[in-house]
Amino acid sequence: MKEENPNIEELLNSFIDGELTERHRTEVERLISHDARAAQRLRELQKCKMLVSSLPRAEAPAEMLERIRASLERETVPDQQPERFNERRGARHLLARRVLTAAAMIGLTAVLGAVIYTIVVPESGPGMPIAVEDSRPVDRVESAFYGRLELKTSNLVAVDASINRAIEENGLSDYASERRQGDKGVYTLSCSRESLRLLLGDLEGIWERFDSATLFVETNQFGEQVVVDTVTAEQIGAIVNQGTLTKRIELSEDFAALNDMAGLLPGRNILAAIDDTGGDLITIPKPRLTRPIKATKAPAPQVKDEEMVHLTIVLAGSE
Amino acid sequence: MIEASNVKIDDAVLVERCRRGDSAAMERLILRYQNRIYNVILKMCANTDDAAELTQETFVKVIENIDKFEGRSGFYTWAFRIAVNLTLNYCQRSVRLGYRSLDADDDERNRSAIGGLKEFLSDDSSPDPAAVAQNKELCGIAAKALMKLDEAQRAVVVLRDIEGMSYAQMAKVLSIEVGTVKSRLSRARSSLREILETMLQ
Repeated sequence: MKEENPNIEELLNSFIDGELTERHRTEVERLISHDARAAQRLRELQKCKMLVSSLPRAEAPAEMLERIRASLERETVPDQQPERFNERRGARHLLARRVLTAAAMIGLTAVLGAVIYTIVVPESGPGMPIAVEDSRPVDRVESAFYGRLELKTSNLVAVDASINRAIEENGLSDYASERRQGDKGVYTLSCSRESLRLLLGDLEGIWERFDSATLFVETNQFGEQVVVDTVTAEQIGAIVNQGTLTKRIELSEDFAALNDMAGLLPGRNILAAIDDTGGDLITIPKPRLTRPIKATKAPAPQVKDEEMVHLTIVLAGSE
Repeated sequence: MIEASNVKIDDAVLVERCRRGDSAAMERLILRYQNRIYNVILKMCANTDDAAELTQETFVKVIENIDKFEGRSGFYTWAFRIAVNLTLNYCQRSVRLGYRSLDADDDERNRSAIGGLKEFLSDDSSPDPAAVAQNKELCGIAAKALMKLDEAQRAVVVLRDIEGMSYAQMAKVLSIEVGTVKSRLSRARSSLREILETMLQ
């Protein structure tokens, strides 16, 4: 049943968790009274839930409060116990780990700085006064964008429908073609950068449903591509927004390095949790786009060849 | 609902006092949540020493950062976010998986547990939850199966089926959409079922 209809699985799970509206609950009740397989699946899920719920509750060690208090005191007055810390066998190892973490942080900051510099620095270069507002477009486009975006999801049907809807709602139906390659959906887009930004704005809402997202940016060497793993919609927008091929490749390489490093950094998700800002579990500091990714939706205008974006989106199942 | 709002008000008052340096308020907050947080962490990492360590670290971070708590979510949700993030981070880094000790169980005990599991899964009637809870072997096998899920799936199952959080609370704790909670939980329970069935083979 899982393969056949994941939505029914979700409905059955929500049903046993009491998370359905009255209407949906009635629908599920009707389903299980008519469909023996659904009823059987419901029983299986209920048993799984019961088995886990039955695990005995453990209590924190009795001295937990004391331990926390002592730990807080240690952290408040660290200078009072330097010798004891230095005597610990793991002190050297701890120091090495801290140095490595610091080095990684410095590296990340440098890459991040380079990325921000690439995005925000005006094109006219060093001679231009900083405070003068540039009224020209952000980028003068010199070459069209060519790339491929490979997406994997465990919810293929729903995501496929969302992409189709986003293409249609953004007036891109005439600029996109869709074909099937086995279980994969392949969308070929040839549109303006503005249209792609609108599309990405819509796809950003379902980005979490992708188990992986990899962007392949074409270079001027035949067959050579820059690969950006765990790419975000914002990053794609920023890369496409670069007017020249060189800048596009540089930014792609920066994002690739940034994403790789972010994946390796220890403790990267803890600060986000403490922040109470509702951020993602893994929060990677990202440069903001100079313009919002969402904009007023309008029919795709006629654009020059060099301003075109040629993007192939390949959507596949995760397993 | 009334009870829930009272808890929230109490938490808010304690948090405010804690911010002003009231150590009694801090202790009350710790005592109020230490067992629940410890239990969730233990079910995720399956190692009592590590669970105690992570619980301690959670509360140290909570107290140290209480000034940053803006009250956008409840204190309970915020504290659990820190606990779950620390634990997920630990699970990803740690090579010492908690089900190690369960693997060391003797064969006879395992056989007996598998027998109990087979009976439980094949029984079409609704089993009595209290009887299941008292069956230590069955609970042991459930804990072992839980540890075979990947961390993200284990987290949703633990938060829902052990801590009893709503989907909305889980979404806040895990910083994901409610839709993602639903799909992840659905996949997790399917995986759990498959793991249990594999154990029978």
